Amino acid sequence: MRQSNKLSSIPESYYKRRRWAKAAWVYSALLLIATITLGTFLIAFMASLKDNALSEPTNFNFAQVRPSNWVSSMQLGLGGNQAPFFGGFSPGAELTFSVTYAVTNDQTFSIPVIKIPRRRPGTGMAATLTTDFAADYALVSEPKIIERNDNVSYIFKRGIKNESKQGKSVTWQFSIRYLGDGPVIDTVPLDITTPREQVLINSSLDPSRFERRGRVASWVNVSPGVIGYVFRSYVRVWNESVSLETGKSMFLSWTYNSFIIALAKVLLTVFIACSAGYALARMNFSGVRSIFLLMIFSMTIPGQVTFISNYEIFNKLGLLNTPWAVITMLVASGQVLIMKQFFEKFPKELEEAALVDGASPIAILWHVFLPLAKPALASIIILGFQGAWNDFFWPMVVLTSPADIYTLPVGLLSLRNAYGVAGDWSLILAGSFLTTIPVLIVFIIFQKHFTGNNIGTAVKG
Amino acid sequence: MNKIKSFTHWLLLGLILFSSTSMADKKLINIAGWGGNDVVAVNKLLTTVIKSELDELNIEVRYFPVESDYGRYILNSLSAGNAPDAFYVNVDLIDSWVSTGQLKAFSDSFAANAQRMNPVLLDAFTVDNQLFGVPKDVNSLALQFNIDVFKDAKTPVPDENDTWLTLREKLVSVVEAIGDEGVLGTCLSADFAHFSPFALSTGWRPFNEEGKTVLDDNFKRAFNFYVSLVHDGLAIIPADIGQNWPGGCFGTENFAVVMEGQWLSGYLVDKSPNLLYQSTLIPADPKTGERGNMLFTVGWAINNNTANASDVEKVIALLTSDKAQRAILAAGLALPSSNTIVLPAAAEDSPSEQMAQTILTASTLDNVIPYKFGRYGKNWQTPIDVALTAAMLKQLTIEQALSEAQRKYDEMIMISTNKQQGEQ
Amino acid sequence: MSMKTLQRNFYGWLLVLPFVITLVVFFVFALIRTVKYSFTDYDLFSEANFVGINNYINLLTDELFLRATINTISFSLVVTIIQTMLALGLAVLLNSRIKAKSFFRTAFYVPSILSSASVTLIFIWIYQKNGFLNGFISQLSELSSYFVLGLFSLAVVQLVQIAHQRFIGLPTKFFDPLLALISMITTIIVIIIVSKLGLLETTTVKVAVNWLGSRDDFGPMPVTLWAITIQNIYTTVPTIMLLFLAGLQTIPHDLYEAADIDGANKWQQLFHITIPQLAPVTFVVITLGIIGTLQMFDQVALLGTSSPLESRITLAYYVYYQAFSDSGTPNIGASSAAALILGIITLCIVFLQNKFGVKEKS
Repeated sequence: MRQSNKLSSIPESYYKRRRWAKAAWVYSALLLIATITLGTFLIAFMASLKDNALSEPTNFNFAQVRPSNWVSSMQLGLGGNQAPFFGGFSPGAELTFSVTYAVTNDQTFSIPVIKIPRRRPGTGMAATLTTDFAADYALVSEPKIIERNDNVSYIFKRGIKNESKQGKSVTWQFSIRYLGDGPVIDTVPLDITTPREQVLINSSLDPSRFERRGRVASWVNVSPGVIGYVFRSYVRVWNESVSLETGKSMFLSWTYNSFIIALAKVLLTVFIACSAGYALARMNFSGVRSIFLLMIFSMTIPGQVTFISNYEIFNKLGLLNTPWAVITMLVASGQVLIMKQFFEKFPKELEEAALVDGASPIAILWHVFLPLAKPALASIIILGFQGAWNDFFWPMVVLTSPADIYTLPVGLLSLRNAYGVAGDWSLILAGSFLTTIPVLIVFIIFQKHFTGNNIGTAVKG
Repeated sequence: MNKIKSFTHWLLLGLILFSSTSMADKKLINIAGWGGNDVVAVNKLLTTVIKSELDELNIEVRYFPVESDYGRYILNSLSAGNAPDAFYVNVDLIDSWVSTGQLKAFSDSFAANAQRMNPVLLDAFTVDNQLFGVPKDVNSLALQFNIDVFKDAKTPVPDENDTWLTLREKLVSVVEAIGDEGVLGTCLSADFAHFSPFALSTGWRPFNEEGKTVLDDNFKRAFNFYVSLVHDGLAIIPADIGQNWPGGCFGTENFAVVMEGQWLSGYLVDKSPNLLYQSTLIPADPKTGERGNMLFTVGWAINNNTANASDVEKVIALLTSDKAQRAILAAGLALPSSNTIVLPAAAEDSPSEQMAQTILTASTLDNVIPYKFGRYGKNWQTPIDVALTAAMLKQLTIEQALSEAQRKYDEMIMISTNKQQGEQ
Repeated sequence: MSMKTLQRNFYGWLLVLPFVITLVVFFVFALIRTVKYSFTDYDLFSEANFVGINNYINLLTDELFLRATINTISFSLVVTIIQTMLALGLAVLLNSRIKAKSFFRTAFYVPSILSSASVTLIFIWIYQKNGFLNGFISQLSELSSYFVLGLFSLAVVQLVQIAHQRFIGLPTKFFDPLLALISMITTIIVIIIVSKLGLLETTTVKVAVNWLGSRDDFGPMPVTLWAITIQNIYTTVPTIMLLFLAGLQTIPHDLYEAADIDGANKWQQLFHITIPQLAPVTFVVITLGIIGTLQMFDQVALLGTSSPLESRITLAYYVYYQAFSDSGTPNIGASSAAALILGIITLCIVFLQNKFGVKEKS
């Protein structure tokens, strides 16, 4: 019997190592879940930077993340408008641009045809009203050869087919000058046309797209500045969603509306929840039971059951398409319940002293209970703010026109309808992210108060 | 006594002031329509093209654009009683809106003047022999083709002599030549609006003489052709590449042809401004030799509760006058509904102008009907849409898809007749 | 009535009055009007004429309504069950004292604090036929041979280790964490070596699931709603898991110690101690989950034309659609009738859950 190989007792280190290993697994699992929750947004954010968010969805090495493009866009922005971040094109500007083309050894080079097209800078309403075009003020110089290379290997793209080729390359350089005097222009588009066999293998800035099956390399803006280049979708979504009457950015209006409505609703909720919660909890008056039952009942019935009648009420009052229709349509049953349950926990002695002194219940509420209610108040304030900010159904029903009275979620819907048809996913993603910034900021600041109090919104999704 | 005197003095003064200011006041007319490009178009008309005429009539017009859910906004404001004096009405909604009693018929003199417009369009807006809407523009479908694709595939481009079958041959030739580069023949939307030219060119109509929808052999022939393009790998549906409509497909530059309306040119200017394309008529039915098409249009209608109907009519007359339509056409914003406007020759390097010419030609050919379906509204086309999708995606055979659609149409007609009888 | 009672009543009603006003106007009155409209043919313009129970009969023969009802109930049951069980399971698995709590809390809460509009738009992009999810699945499928290799090597290394330890007398369990860690690391090294040497073939696979645009059903629900289910669960499970975790921390340890002494194994402890102790939290999670999912509206509206109507419609959206569809006149009668049916279904399910399911007290 090989007793000597078996252990007589289990060492302490056995258990210790296992506890350590279990902790490692737990942390790994938590990290995996965190990766899934945060990673999704990271991926969507990266996609919002791309020129075309649907091309090669799993490829994250695209033009906007390459540092060489950052440097170039900064230089070009400096050259165009002394503005390395947002670029532009102003009087006296000179942009230097170079492009490298390759052909096989038995072909000859053709001089690229370089043109600044007279094209509006985007699809939104603001773009259609543009009156200043770079084409009217720009002069393109003749391209000069600055480099030759007799041995290059490159890839010739035939649609989705890639053919590797050997050949020679030539680099041309040209400049774009602002002639005379005039306004500062935001975008300088550029088109360079060559025969199909002549392939663009390098350029100061990666082209935004290739058109005419590879014959034309097209840049949306050759003087973008770093921010204008990397975050182009965001700049576009911000600039193009503009109200035609006031010229103000709609995103600003939407954020402002959401904020004002959320603030007003929270104030109203706190007022109603505290007074009603206290009364239902501490005061035994006739009718308490029925109000309580009605309140619970109202929490189970969805908003769609009551919306027509409420809609008609606001219609008759002429309050449709105003923030008041959203603010005052408030049945704060959930918050009243929270305050009621919170107030119930306190012992009777708390108010008995004050009652003996002859204080009215309102004074008791104000002086005794409210100061103690801070945790619960924090809870309903956060819940209320978040609920009001993210509310979708009712604002969509009552806020229809004009577009700058929308709240952020309804604005997102209109953005999706406007750009979804064009398949402009980068814009839609950029818009989504822009609307999440305020909530994220609030969340990061008030993080502690969110936990555990978030049941309602957490569970419905 | 003094008090009464001074009071009447103030009263008279007030009255005089009030009436003098109100005499100098312009009459205010509110109009509403879509957002987007229409804002540019209408504002252009109001501030430059017809401004002098409006000033002469002492009328001020304010345009109120509705960004989304236009129909709902108008219905809401009509029920609230604060709707604008005039507003857009989409041709497929005219019957249902007229039945609510909220639209006012145009006067006979106005209707007489409107006779210069496309008769099919006018008829579309006529209910019970009264004109309730006046078309402000027109749109129809044409066949657009990508010149570079045909050049690289060494295939002749489509032209006016093509039938379905010759077009098909050209698509086959393109796909065989450069299909491996990811090029496809066309992008077909599974909806009736885009399918209509094929269905209508066979002689079929959405409603026969008895007002029933019968998907007869002619319809089946067109359906077969349309769906077979997808089955044979010559076409895909837009959703396959994350697009919403055939125009989106065409903008990716990987498609030989597509069949769209004038709105395609505005889209291409942004999406792929260098795309070289031309337009021609949608091919004819090889059996009947005829073409078919759908007319899309929007008209101006008058609110029945408006205070000054004759002034509103004058404004609408100006907005749809030949002068206005010419200005809109020149700005490339829409195609005219008036037949008395002669189009200038299209500039050579402007594919959008050439498309406009083609589409206007297409709108005057035979088998052209307006995009409306009586009291059913747009919901009428759903059974055909569902059948197209199911057949294209091979979820059902063509026979099954069509018989299911026919069943739904029989039901639809039956429910409607019951409803009408119930109301009587 | 004594003076004190009068005073109490007066102040009580005064304090509760703002709330009661909103409750009566926006809830009770609205509910009564909806009931009234459901028996009429109101269309927002003309007078409402009494039509008896016509609206209800028409609903029962409307394919779209029946579809919406089935979709809604299935969606609610599927999502509530999955999200509760998944969150509970994860919480039990991960129940240990964790440092860096605030980091994880932030990470887990992020999806649920964002508006459903933002999250839905992002997911619509992910779910495109040529979008990220299909691309990701394609790439994973191309590596399927590596998955098989990995599982195989994991099993082998683990079994070898366990056999060794059992042999020398240690009472090691099959899923021993330390050994599993060693197995995992070994497997990763094996995979890296194999991939560098190029021994395994990878195929090019193109997965093109039509998440949003298909009219197909997968079981009781359309594929589109399953896509929304995944999105919903993704948003809610991390936060519910944290709720359960907090609840788990409050269960006294001596309950488990007593069970150990009695010889109960882990599964028995789970079902007889853990789950009953968590009953209050579970009750709230399930009830609010049911109520919330039965009202699902936002995602349907945001999907819009990306999906055919039948594959995304829920009762809440049907109610809205009948009132405000943009082709034709509003059908308030049908909308109200459908809304009432939705309300009744909600009450029934909540009541049934309370009677036969998880109760508030263990």
